[in-house]
Formats: sequence, structure tokens, C-alpha cells
Amino acid sequence: MFLKKLIGHEDREKEVIRDMDSHLRLLQDGCKAFHEAIERNDHARMRRVKELEREADTIRRDIVSHIYEGAFLPYLRPELSKFVELVDQVFDLLEYASACYLEIRFPDSLRSEAARVAFLNQEMCGMLRLTLQATTAGEDLREKRLAIRIYEKRIDDLKFGLMHDAKAIPVEDFWEGKTLSDFLSRLSSVSDVIEDASDHLGIISSIIK
Amino acid sequence: MKVFEFMTTRLESVDSRKSVYDAVEKMVDRRIRSLLVRFPGDDLQDGVITARDIVYKVLAQGKDPQAVQVSEIASRPISCVSKDLPLREAAQLMEEDGVARLFACDGNRIVGVLSMMDAMAAMLILRARGEHVS
Amino acid sequence: MWKILSGAFLGWSLGANDSANIFGTGVATGTVNYRTAVWLTAAFLMAGALLEGPKCMEVLNDLSSLLPLHAFFCALAAALTMTAMTALAVPASSSHAVVGAIVGVGLVSGSADLSPLIKIVTCWVLTPICGLVFGYLLLRALTFLFNRTHMSLTRRNRIYFLGILIAGCYGAYTLGSNNVANVTGVYVGSGLLTPRSASLIGGLAIALGVLTFSRRVMMTVGRGIAPLDPFTAFVTVLAGALSLHLFTQVGIPVSSSQAIVGAVVGVGLVGDVRTVSPRILVKIGLGWIVTPVSAGLLAWLFVVFLSGPWWFS
Repeated sequence: MFLKKLIGHEDREKEVIRDMDSHLRLLQDGCKAFHEAIERNDHARMRRVKELEREADTIRRDIVSHIYEGAFLPYLRPELSKFVELVDQVFDLLEYASACYLEIRFPDSLRSEAARVAFLNQEMCGMLRLTLQATTAGEDLREKRLAIRIYEKRIDDLKFGLMHDAKAIPVEDFWEGKTLSDFLSRLSSVSDVIEDASDHLGIISSIIK
Repeated sequence: MKVFEFMTTRLESVDSRKSVYDAVEKMVDRRIRSLLVRFPGDDLQDGVITARDIVYKVLAQGKDPQAVQVSEIASRPISCVSKDLPLREAAQLMEEDGVARLFACDGNRIVGVLSMMDAMAAMLILRARGEHVS
Repeated sequence: MWKILSGAFLGWSLGANDSANIFGTGVATGTVNYRTAVWLTAAFLMAGALLEGPKCMEVLNDLSSLLPLHAFFCALAAALTMTAMTALAVPASSSHAVVGAIVGVGLVSGSADLSPLIKIVTCWVLTPICGLVFGYLLLRALTFLFNRTHMSLTRRNRIYFLGILIAGCYGAYTLGSNNVANVTGVYVGSGLLTPRSASLIGGLAIALGVLTFSRRVMMTVGRGIAPLDPFTAFVTVLAGALSLHLFTQVGIPVSSSQAIVGAVVGVGLVGDVRTVSPRILVKIGLGWIVTPVSAGLLAWLFVVFLSGPWWFS
């Protein structure tokens, strides 16, 4: 086992990195499905989010077990796992939001703003994926992390607008109202966690130096 | 990247008959630097009032903002561009016309505004993606 | 022949204690597994002892010519001093102890030649300084080298892993080459062993100590030195090893621990970080004085009271 590590061609590490990229690709696909589902009020598309979340969960478990089976030096392992967990958190938020959406009759007055937030989330994921690629390549992350913060601030601005508009929606049923509120709060949190994940990549990049 | 991807769709506006002071209050509360000025008729009749206008034409002149109507200092008509205009062209237009914001129009309806900050943010994202706007 | 047992004991405790300087961080952080670390240490240590061990033995013989029984007492005094200091949690160097013991015995028997002491003590003082300089320069140079190119995460990971491994092996080699003289050098002067056999036996004793009793010390990260990341860890070990190797060429046995402490300080200086407290500096200073004096006193006592007619020669 030791000899393999000595002579082996970094196979395990490369596999972990490949899987982490796939994990993010799935997230991007999930955000895309989510955005399109809201824009076109397509329930079938919204259900796809859950399927993607399940696939992502499997990849996540593979990644973590490969990491702790001996990929990378011990001091890097918790940081890499933490990143994977953060990506998983985003997926959980997305999945929960999709479930909320399917439960209610989504008000059309909120549709375009919500779709816009979902679109920006999708773009943010793409940028996070580029940031991960840059981290594993040993490149400077500064511009990409700024880009992610820019997205997050834009979504922040839209968030309050959404909340404001939501108040104008008449709520006859408590659960309908609560579920809508849950949807909006999850939708808004996605960008916060993506930003956290990007910050974590910054940490990984600096401890390896 | 097109204008519609980075424009702000939530437009803050003030009626042309209101006082400059009303406009100032709105700008302070919403933390924004400009407001769309609504004139009667369709959107293309509208104008824009900026913090610059207020400082140069009213406050620095010692005039009372409560006594001046917005319509007196608003710039009209607004610069309108297609929402599908490429970002680089939009930025060039801003430079040529010396304006800090462009309104995106769809027919004779205003659908969004692209500010200087929006344009800058968009270009930083393009850089981060490696698609430099040279 | 039983007289070499005290030397063997000294060697064994040296192996148990000093090997932590080599692969300590590597094992404690899980980078290298314990078994691999100890076997590599033992192997390279033996190589160092056999190939360059005799270089430091000469100066010990220059200090004083020893009778075989006195050689036994020297090694015993040194070993007991080391054990006592370890129990008191004061870092002690076998080099300091052995030299002190030899001088102690030499003063009693009247065969001491103190002129090499100047060279010896100078080298002791220079050891941490050398470690500091090497540590600072190496870290600066390697950081510059590594950051010039964009290295992928996997490449960097691999380099750090290999670095820890290579530094550790080199560290073991230099420990063997420099310190084996402390363990069995006294027997060469007294004619009991040839330099060759002294290196072999001494090396084996140290290796045995590494293989059997080093785990606890390796796992205890608290040695007054902050746990370092893999990069600075391997630079530290490398710097310490280079210092040790330098003094081997000069022919003086020095303290591997002090070389490492110097390296840690040097490495910390790059980042403007104070990695070592004044307390540790005091301990180092004490080491230069207390260890040799205690060992010398003990050896002197052994000779005076235990080499009478009722204790066979």
C-alpha cells in the first residue's frame, strides 16, 4: 500500500477531483432544471431536481470515502470534505425548495423575479465550478471569487424585492402561505451557501501554499 | 453577454410633478443614485433624474429642493437600447453618450436599467469566466 | 564485553527519544504510518552510522584516553543523565552528556585533554544557529521555487509527501552518522571496539530503540514546538539534517534536537512568527551547561567510588 502511494500516479487524488467536478456539474444541472421549471411552470422539470439530488448524494458519499481511504495528505482531507458537504447543502436547499414549489400554486406575480434569482443561482454554480477547477490547478482564485460575490450581492438585492412583493399575495390557507415562505427562504439561501463554498476554496488554496 | 442578463428589472421611479425633495427622500431610502421620472404617455416619454442633477442644479445653486419640480431638472428622453444588445456595445454607448446608465426597452416599454456598476460587474464576471471583453 | 551494555542502553534510549525529530510530525498528522516511519528510520540510521559514524569518534578519543571500565562508566553516566533529564521534561542531548562524562572521568584519571573542548562547545552553540540559518534559507528558496509555477493540487500534494519522506530518511541518516559516536565511541578509545564494529553495534542499538520504544514520543506533539503543516515540517527536518551532516563532516557530535529547534525558529522567522518561547531558549542554554556537568559529575562519582579493588576491572 505504501509502495503504491510512492510509485502510483496520483490516481486516487485525480479520481476525487474528477468526482468533485461531477458533483458540481450535477448541481449546475439541478439549478438549471429549477430555473426552467419556475420560468415555464413545468412540474415535470421541477421533479427532475430531486432525481439529480439523489445522484449527487451518491457521488458525495463516494468522494468522502475515497478521501478518507487515503487520497491527499491528512491535513487537506477535512477541508475537501467540508467543501463537498457545502455543495451538498446547496442541493438540499434546492431539493426542499422544489418540493415546496410542487406543493403550492406558485403566484404568477412572483414568477419573473423568482426565475431571475434561480437563473443567477445557476450562473453562480457555473462560476463555483470554474473556481474549483482553478483551485485544483493551483491558479489564482481572486477574480472568480469576486465574481461569485458579485452574484451574491445581486441576489441579495432581488431577495428583498421578492419578500416585499410576496407580502402583497393574499394567503387564504396557512400551509399554502407557509410553504411559499419556505420556498422563498430556501431559494434565497442557495446563493449564501454557494458563497460559503467559494470562500472555502479560498481557504484550501491558501493552506496548500 | 447581453444587457438583459445584468440589468436591474426593479425600476424605482418618481412622478414628474413631484418635488425634487420627494425624489431625494426616495433615493436616500432606497440607496440609489437615480430615478426614472414618469411623464404622462408611454414609457418613451419618461426621463431620468440623478444625484448629480440634484446636487449641481438645485443644492449647489442654493435652491430649495421642495420648491423645484422634478420635471424641471430631469433629462429627457431617456437613452433606450434593446435588451438583447451585447454588453460591450452597451458599455461603448455609455462612454460615447457620457451617460452612467442605459434603459433597456422592449418596444415602447422599459424593462430594465443597466447602470455603470451593473456593466462593471458583468465585465468582471466575463473576466472570471475567461471570456475577456477586450 | 559486558561493558558495552551501557552504551547499548544509551543507544536504545537515544533511538527512542530522538527519532521523533525525524518523522514525528509525519506520523502524528497521519501522513506516514508509524510502521513505515520506524523501519525507514532504522534502515537509514544504520546506513548513516556505518558509512560516516566513525567521523565523530575521533574527537571523543582526543578528549581523554579511557580504560574499558571507564568507558563503561561514561556511557552509563550519560545514559542515566539522559533518563533523569527526560523524566524532568528537560530536553537533553546525548552528545552533551557523553562529552561531559568523558571529561569527568578524564579529570579523575588525569588523562583529560581539554583543548578540543573549545571546538566542541563552539559547535554545540553553533548547532541551533546553523539550524536557524538553514531553515530560513531553505523555506525562502523552496517557497519561491514552488510559487513560480502553477502546481496542480495533486502535484503539490505528492511533492509534500515525497518531501516528508526524503527529509525523514536523510534526517535518520544524519542522526546515525553524527550521534552513533556518542553511543559507542568511548569503546573505540579504550580499545574494546574498532570504529567499524562500534558503528555497527551503536547503530543497531539506536535502531532497536527506534523500533521498540519511539511510538509514545512520536505521538506526543507537545514538545514545545507547534505542529507544522507538511511543507514547513519537511523543510524543518531537512534543515536540521543538513546542520547535523555539516557537523559530522567537522567531526563533532552535536544535538539533533537543538538543530531542529533552530530550524523551527528559522522557519518561523520567514513568516514573522515567533514559534519558540524564551522558555525554550533558556532550556537550550541550560542543556549546554547542566547536561554535561551532571553527566560529568556522575561519571566522576562512578570512577571514584566504583572502580576500587572490590569491583573487578
